[in-house]
Amino acid sequence: MRLTSTLLRHVGEWSKKYSNLPDSYIQRAMAQVYWRTPRKPNYLPRTIEKKNFRFSIFRPWTNQFHRDNRPGKKHKFIHVEPIKDWSFFRGDRVEILEGKDKGKQGLVKEIYQERNWIIVEGLNTKLRCIMKDKNYPGTFIQEEQPLLVTSQVQLVDPSDMQGTQIEWRYKEDGEKVRISLRTGRIIPVPVASEETVDYKSQKLYREQPKDTIKADAEKVTFMPSLKTFEMDIMDEMGIKEDRIQKSSYWY
Amino acid sequence: MKLLKPKNKQLANVVQFHCSMEMTKFDIKNYMEKIYNIDIIEVRTRIAMGRTKKDQLQGSIIKEDDRKIAYVVLPKDQSFVFPDLFKDAKGEFDEEIMNESKSKDLQEYVKENKAPGLPGWFRI
Amino acid sequence: MAALMKAVHVSKNMNNIMKLFTNLSLTPNVITSSKHVFLHRTPALHCAFIHITPDNRDLMEFFDEPKNWGRNEVKVGRSWRKDELRLKSNSDLHKLWYVLLKERNMLMTMEEVCKDENKIFPNPERLDKVKDSMNNLESVVRERNRAYHMLETGETGERPGKLVYNCLGLKFYHRMHQYIIPKYMNRKWHKWHKFGFGGFATRRFLRLYREKIWNQKRRARNRDKNRVAVLMSKFPNVDIEAVKQHFPNVDLETIKTLKRARGHHVPE
Repeated sequence: MRLTSTLLRHVGEWSKKYSNLPDSYIQRAMAQVYWRTPRKPNYLPRTIEKKNFRFSIFRPWTNQFHRDNRPGKKHKFIHVEPIKDWSFFRGDRVEILEGKDKGKQGLVKEIYQERNWIIVEGLNTKLRCIMKDKNYPGTFIQEEQPLLVTSQVQLVDPSDMQGTQIEWRYKEDGEKVRISLRTGRIIPVPVASEETVDYKSQKLYREQPKDTIKADAEKVTFMPSLKTFEMDIMDEMGIKEDRIQKSSYWY
Repeated sequence: MKLLKPKNKQLANVVQFHCSMEMTKFDIKNYMEKIYNIDIIEVRTRIAMGRTKKDQLQGSIIKEDDRKIAYVVLPKDQSFVFPDLFKDAKGEFDEEIMNESKSKDLQEYVKENKAPGLPGWFRI
Repeated sequence: MAALMKAVHVSKNMNNIMKLFTNLSLTPNVITSSKHVFLHRTPALHCAFIHITPDNRDLMEFFDEPKNWGRNEVKVGRSWRKDELRLKSNSDLHKLWYVLLKERNMLMTMEEVCKDENKIFPNPERLDKVKDSMNNLESVVRERNRAYHMLETGETGERPGKLVYNCLGLKFYHRMHQYIIPKYMNRKWHKWHKFGFGGFATRRFLRLYREKIWNQKRRARNRDKNRVAVLMSKFPNVDIEAVKQHFPNVDLETIKTLKRARGHHVPE
């Protein structure tokens, strides 16, 4: 159990936010268990599984990730600079400080917290040829490359649209906000940071055919009574139990 | 409890299930009758041994888990045929549509530029 | 009551996100064996490949709705949360359990079929959502039962257990069983349950085992130290507070003095 929980520690909260997948699924899709001892008294609970994963722009539940981390594949350890508070969210306007698009501003499209990476929409791109074969010369597409949040990008202050260093501070009502160090204004977290693959924002979620209706889910039907669950169900179904239990011993 | 597709030819009124190892014939009968409202004549079970195979990577011998398979016999007048779930399934991207769009793209690209005041070879 | 109030409060704050699985009343008489009360799901079968009598349609509950067959994506909401389940009566929970159970069976069947046919099983996270809902439901039921037993008897009413040592001297949680004869009469039990340890061999094993664990810890400590040193040399502007947060057991002051923590850059 301990191993799997350490596994999950690597997948950043903001990297998996957009996919809206349950943690247990991410864990299950990512894990590569080679051998697990049977649940028998003569075995200690042990697993042999892949512990070091190489994270890149492929999400841990995709086939490409599995291809990168196929069994037996070893990779060099990647040192990632620790960050105290993640401060780049989906929909944030950022300025690029390095590379061919230096000085340009764009919106954050994707977050890879495991590598301190973000992808800025339409900037820092590379040409890639796809669908090339004998009869077709291929199509070239612009592919965005990831940028390091520690050194290659900077948040943009919305008051003067200039890049700035930021700091996390508390407001008087206890809310944690990002403050531009140059102007001292608050940089609000964009609404798009709430967006997931299923909805733009939680309020705009469209119910799917398999979902419970909101009113049904919120309806309070619980009536407190001095009964256990089983007694309540038995009463309701008219099951009567007259047998008296024998005395027993627990050990 | 899973409903399995029979590997071999089977009588029309027999359905195969994969159930947990702890379930007995009586458990399975009650389960089907009470939860799924299915009439059952008889239940037979067997424990299918997991296959033993060689691990590709390490060369070690690995045995898959055993599993309990239940054959549930329905009344004579009933029959169950395993449905074909992928009859009109479409792939992630259709090969034909893909090729069509590819050739269209190519023709678009090769076509002469019709923009006014610009030479035919000019591209944006 | 406090729990109830809390639950009500939570439900007010609840966003209108989705709940998994429609209609609490989908299976109103799951437990009754009477056939006619049961609501048949009548799937719109668009082709005649299933030769089933109407009575036999319940077996089709092991399959998804026909409109979802062969689709690449089946969208569903999130799992039931504990706070939402606490609002529901016992009978509602009982019905919901069987709805979830049927859904799980359906998903497992569909997964198996997809695996056999070499097709992609759409949205496999549905299985996790159902499992999560079922776990939450069970914990809510146990919570209620525990409250009743604590009130009536002063005990939790759960299956007892205790931490014991096995023959190798390793600690484990022994979950107790119920017997009709007392412990001292149960010779078979004593044959199978040997607790406690002793003897030279066990003590030597434990010594070596402790050494192994100690070595693992030592390696982890050294690894952390080295990682911090590399971080300092690679990233001269690294946030010290963040490093402290990630590596709480590493003494940063001593690491700063190390030569390998200095890096190939001109000190300011």
